[in-house]
Amino acid sequence: MRTLLKRLVAGLAVLYGAASLAFLSLHLIPGDPVAILLGPATTASPEVRRQISAELGFDRPLLTQYLGHLGRLASGDLGSSYQLQRPVGWLIADQLGPTVQLAVAAIVVALALALISAITTAGRHPAARALASAWELTAVSLPSYWLGVLLLTAFSFHLRLFPIIGGDGPAALVLPAVTLALPIAGVLAQVLREGLESALAQPFALTARARGLSQTAVRLRHALRHAAGSLATLAGWLVGTLLGGAVLVETVFGRPGLGALTLQAVQNRDMPVVMGVVLVSALTFVVISALVDLLYLAIDPRLRGAVVA
Amino acid sequence: MLMPSNFRFLRDKVVTVALAVLLLAACASPAASPPGSAAQSPAGPAKGGSLTFAADTEPVTFDAHVSAQDITGAILRNVFDSLIAQDAEGAFHPWLAESWEVAPDLKSYTFKLRKDVTFHDGTPFDAKAVKANFDRIADPATKSQLASNLLGPYTGTEIVDTHTVKVGFSAPFAPFLQAASTAYLGFYSPKTLAANAATLGSGGPAAAGTGPFVFSGYTKGQQATFTRNDAYAWAPKTSAHPGAAYLDKLTVRFLPEASVRIGGLTSRQVDVAAAIPSAQVKAVEANKAVTVLKTDYPGGNYSIYLNTSKAPLNDPKVRKALQRGIDVDTNVKAVYFGQFKRAWSPLSPATPGYLAALENSWPYDPALAGKLLDEAGWTGRDAEGYRTKDGKRLVVDWPLLPAQYLKDQRDVLGQAFQADLKKLGVEVLRPQADIGTYLERVYGGKADLADYSWSRFEPDVLWLLFNGASKLEKGGQNGTFLDDPDLTKWTDQGRATLDEAVRKDVYAKTQQRALDLAIVIPVYTQSQVLGLGRNVHGLTLDANAWPLFHDVWLDRPSR
Repeated sequence: MRTLLKRLVAGLAVLYGAASLAFLSLHLIPGDPVAILLGPATTASPEVRRQISAELGFDRPLLTQYLGHLGRLASGDLGSSYQLQRPVGWLIADQLGPTVQLAVAAIVVALALALISAITTAGRHPAARALASAWELTAVSLPSYWLGVLLLTAFSFHLRLFPIIGGDGPAALVLPAVTLALPIAGVLAQVLREGLESALAQPFALTARARGLSQTAVRLRHALRHAAGSLATLAGWLVGTLLGGAVLVETVFGRPGLGALTLQAVQNRDMPVVMGVVLVSALTFVVISALVDLLYLAIDPRLRGAVVA
Repeated sequence: MLMPSNFRFLRDKVVTVALAVLLLAACASPAASPPGSAAQSPAGPAKGGSLTFAADTEPVTFDAHVSAQDITGAILRNVFDSLIAQDAEGAFHPWLAESWEVAPDLKSYTFKLRKDVTFHDGTPFDAKAVKANFDRIADPATKSQLASNLLGPYTGTEIVDTHTVKVGFSAPFAPFLQAASTAYLGFYSPKTLAANAATLGSGGPAAAGTGPFVFSGYTKGQQATFTRNDAYAWAPKTSAHPGAAYLDKLTVRFLPEASVRIGGLTSRQVDVAAAIPSAQVKAVEANKAVTVLKTDYPGGNYSIYLNTSKAPLNDPKVRKALQRGIDVDTNVKAVYFGQFKRAWSPLSPATPGYLAALENSWPYDPALAGKLLDEAGWTGRDAEGYRTKDGKRLVVDWPLLPAQYLKDQRDVLGQAFQADLKKLGVEVLRPQADIGTYLERVYGGKADLADYSWSRFEPDVLWLLFNGASKLEKGGQNGTFLDDPDLTKWTDQGRATLDEAVRKDVYAKTQQRALDLAIVIPVYTQSQVLGLGRNVHGLTLDANAWPLFHDVWLDRPSR
């Protein structure tokens, strides 16, 4: 119970910090916020500019604006986008679905690839290891932008297996998910193999073998459990970054998503949207790290004992 | 005439686009068709099918009265009709207005409206609708970024009777007819204006207009979809047919990445793709399933504007030296693979009133440029080879737009100009910062050079660019910071008369004088480069070089 309360307070602190930082950093961008909002090609008259400034509260002192934003957020109102003239709640809800779909699909694909690559090659013949390691390193260093265009060219434009039109439906999810998953799979596989090998080198692995367990069973039942901890932490963190960080993939595939929304909002200094997205992201991180901790308990029985004690 | 012949289409000179004409001619006489074109297609327009248009940018807001973006007007043209239509020659035709009268003092315009027009939501189109829309645009609370400017010195709309309106202005305002023909002054149903005014930016069915397509859905970051308005029967004469559109469905897919638009086009997932980059035009043209349609944008060319309000460009000799010391020809050709025309005038050749006499009148002349700089007193040289006067180096500050606003590789073109001027001993600085800093420097008159273009099918764009009252901080676009009495007088005269001879004369003088004063260096004419599948017929471009889908039909209903 105490732990839970602690977590809650820590989570709220993270949310407050994130919102404040977002507000401050957007205000560090120099220039007149109305001019930035309108961009370079506009014939908006001074009256229109004054109207915008008054309506959005840019003419009020910074502290008033800050407290106004915080107060609004605390009451659960995310406000309305300056530029898109829509409630931020709607905007995020609209974009969250495709984003979550993409992130989950990507992490599932990445985990599958990493498990296969690491389990089949950990502690095996040096040549097999080297080969696996080579593809993983290549995957990690592939720019997602380039990879996306490459996959599109091969599988959509030439083989016509996956459409770029009709961005909804599972077929349209495959290529973007694979594009996002490959570099992540590379990282996860490297970490996992390292963990597997150190677990296999420990005496309990030999003991299990001596008890008559097959090599494969030792790998899957014992070594994997040991190696899974660090994998879970890393995967959790990666899911978090995927939510806002899929901007390049979203652009290439013309997919809706939080990444593009965030980028546009930051560029246009669309404060309510930025604050909203930051809050949602911070919240996601808090939730995910809590889930990862729970996952630890499931993976490692020793921790369960520790909590009880 | 229900099924208009292709000849009427040609006779009406709706289209300047050679290719569209060629395709239509090919349909009329298969013998003349180029290989691989529409020879096998049915004889006339076929109803049905859905078309996907891949656009490179996505509107920030879909509110026609608020947005200043080209793409917004282009997409919403399918949803909104205008009072009048303008053809490629600049002549006006009835549309939602059957006829109109202009008061001799150009301070009021009376429109007689059609009586058979209804909005997508069933509301009849009448005088009250016109008033409600124009009043909304002029209301500061709407925060209009372009439409309110197009309305000029608007004072109000008077409802003369149910189907007659009188639009009034506080000063003579000749450009109003052209403005009234754009989608930015299109009409929302008064019902939706009352119910949804604040959320029209989201598009969708709330955007009820009178146009050939109904705005059926919008997924931000992905696409906007439109379905045929079956009741449509009031297309202007600039269209090939008056009735409902042929396409069942129109999808505008937002694909910012050019290679993806092109791949989608060549793999037939996309029927029409916008903004094919110059470097890829040749490769796309080589594909037999695809044709390329290229049209110059009207309005202000992409030009460099010289800030005359401060040293060193307050000296006409230095300005002239920059104008003649930049090798526009070679660099535009190299950067755009010969796809864009270099510009000789601040006005695009596709704009009425363009002064062709300026062509070749100010060629690259580095020797002359050097001489002018010597005469201006910049005779010293410092250790790095730059010119100096009284120990001060000749430096020009030309801020670079942040990456998200940069288009057409203008930064690369700028580097080439920088190199040209370095040879002359002029140092060009190109600081790149965020948009806030950029606007502060450029709009605040602290920079020396600024570069931009301004599309509009109307020479009145010269008022925006050179009139003394068109100050940047007031929503104008006069980046020269010069209030030249002649330029101001002529551009004022041009917008105060409908006399074509007078307008031609003042706009010719304006273009000539702007170049003589060396307050502008025209660089290139922007082109709309569309790729379209060979199954697409009847695609035409409006006066603003944007595709019109009302007349479009497909070989075989696909997808």
